[in-house]
Amino acid sequence: MLRKADSNFAFAVGAALLFFFIGGILTTVVPPLVDKSWSKPFENSDPSQGATGKLVAYTERQLKGRAIYVREGCWYCHTQQTRTLLADTVRSGWKGVRSPISTPDEFVYDYPHMFGTKRTGPDLSRVGGKYDTQWHRTHFRNPRDLVPGSIMPPFPWIVENPEEFTALVDYIQTLGRAKNWRPNGDYEK
Amino acid sequence: MPEDTSRVQASPSISAGGAAVVHEDTTAKWFLISSIAYFFIVGIIAVTIAAKFVWPQLLGTVQYLTYGRLRPLHVNGMLFGWLLAADMGLAFYLIPRLCGVKLWSEKLGVATAALWNVIVLGAVVMLLMGYNQGLEYAELPTWEDVLVVIAWIMFGLNIFMTIASRKYDQMYVSIWYIMGTILWTAFVYLTGNFAVLFATGVNQANLNWMYVHNAVGLIFTPIGLALAYYYIPKASNSPLHSHKLSMIGFWSLAFVYVWTGAHHMLHGPISQWLQTISIAFSVMLLIPVWAVVYNFFATMQGQWHQLRENVPLKFLMSGVVFYLLTCFQGPMHSLRTVNAIVSKTDWIPGHAHMAVLGAFSFFAIAGTYYTVPRMFKCKLFSDTLANWSFWFLMVGGLGFFVTLWLGGFWQGWQWNNVSIPFIDTVKALQPVWLVRFFSGILMFTGIVSFAYNILATIVGAKDNPEAA
Ligand code: HEC
Repeated sequence: MLRKADSNFAFAVGAALLFFFIGGILTTVVPPLVDKSWSKPFENSDPSQGATGKLVAYTERQLKGRAIYVREGCWYCHTQQTRTLLADTVRSGWKGVRSPISTPDEFVYDYPHMFGTKRTGPDLSRVGGKYDTQWHRTHFRNPRDLVPGSIMPPFPWIVENPEEFTALVDYIQTLGRAKNWRPNGDYEK
Repeated sequence: MPEDTSRVQASPSISAGGAAVVHEDTTAKWFLISSIAYFFIVGIIAVTIAAKFVWPQLLGTVQYLTYGRLRPLHVNGMLFGWLLAADMGLAFYLIPRLCGVKLWSEKLGVATAALWNVIVLGAVVMLLMGYNQGLEYAELPTWEDVLVVIAWIMFGLNIFMTIASRKYDQMYVSIWYIMGTILWTAFVYLTGNFAVLFATGVNQANLNWMYVHNAVGLIFTPIGLALAYYYIPKASNSPLHSHKLSMIGFWSLAFVYVWTGAHHMLHGPISQWLQTISIAFSVMLLIPVWAVVYNFFATMQGQWHQLRENVPLKFLMSGVVFYLLTCFQGPMHSLRTVNAIVSKTDWIPGHAHMAVLGAFSFFAIAGTYYTVPRMFKCKLFSDTLANWSFWFLMVGGLGFFVTLWLGGFWQGWQWNNVSIPFIDTVKALQPVWLVRFFSGILMFTGIVSFAYNILATIVGAKDNPEAA
């Protein structure tokens, strides 16, 4: 085969594409067919199955906030996934309660997805309800005022635009909230 | 035996093209010149974002220059403005020579170069304005993606028509890799920029990672290797060790790469079985890599002494070493235990830069140093400066890679110790980011000396004709 492909143009092209498509199709088209949780929104009312709750679609304002998150590239520094690692569940947990692991069904309405690849800042997958609006206002104006040593950039143009600021915070407060995981509904507004 | 013919064909004197063919190279020249300009401009952005890690307030109140907008400009600018454009320019140079015919259409080629510049300049404006689609490597808006597809078809058509009219029956391995690049890129790019738009959540992420991973694996890798396969025998004046081995490398690359996208989400919210597949295939990547690298080293056998004087060869062979290291790291990161430490840390940019800068950009720089004097029929402006550019890039690059690996590993270690507050892990990395910044300055100095050398060569071409 090697020798044939060596000087036969059509054969080479055909083989290169065939090889590519075998792997390509098996890893992109097949998985969502096999694994339904990729496209079915999270819903659970049975506490013995883990955190209860329901994934609801974003409101218009939350989508606006999400667009700002995309525009400002927050996702280059923050991931949104609590992985199956103990450290992740503790770090995105609250007052000793470990946060639930992220599952595909929590992200069905995410467009574009914001899983991220780099944690220059902490993971945000369960940050919804961690801080109140005033905290975020101060933090976005200059993160170092609240957290000395932070390297998060300041975002004064967001804080100075009430519409954008409210939308962004509204979105941030949704993060991880499909699963109602904090005891006694202990969430900040 | 094809083995023997390959030796002849790869041997520099013959594959230099039938005596009668006169190459215009206008397209290659335009691609190379614009790519070098972007290398320089985007280099400034690179240094700026490195500085922002050390001085986070820097340019902080100018929304167009915030980190989150400069970073995609840096990534897209380097990948598409510099590296891919340089690779395409060099492909336009070497394909006609390996085929022994003229380029099919210089007019089409120059139009492709012009369109490419429109795309890159459009990208600069779009990204600074914050028009970001939110998908890594696929940040650009759809109209830009359409232009990229058109440019790619123009590029592919030109190259394929040239190959179809070739004088030599047997196709040298560089031709293979460039054909593979053109075909795979088409599908990888369509998946990553169009198919993703019809998916959400994990499904979208899976398509996105398939694209991101294969942008490196099936675009930059094969075209970079095409250059290495051409320029290593050329620059060292020795025939390629084994044609057969080069084909094993090619076909295993074609088969293995595309399966590995999900390793970007190990431990994450994506099906476990898919993670396991991606790990298995990631480890198999060692096969094509070692086949390729062995071939290059064997080609150099008895020729290593040339490294002392020969700047293109220095870039090429250090690029090969970086390629080997990167592609050793990759499979290792995909092992679950290692991944639990290094994933999402600063190790990853260290790894990524070694691939795209250390390996593939080094190949492209070597190709440019080798090619530009030949295209303009003159001597290089300064061999000494070329040597300096190598050492700046090498020392800067190593400083960058090594500090980020050490720092990233340490960072991951700290994250896994939950008694350390997150902000302390940020503060701990400050010295690492400072060294990274200074390494960046060194690298940028390397870029400047490279760009200046090439520019001066072109400008002074008429006054400095090659003796022969
Ligand atoms: C250059 C990287 C970077 C960018 C870009 C960035 N951040 Fe951050 N972020 C950090 C770092 C580092 C921290 C940790 C220190 C701190 O709290 O300021 C952080 C902390 C946070 C926190 C607090 C998390 C917690 O659990 O305490 C939130 C919320 C946040 N960022 C939101 C955002 C949003 C929204 C954006 C985009 C508008 C953004 N960040 C952009 C680096 C970044």
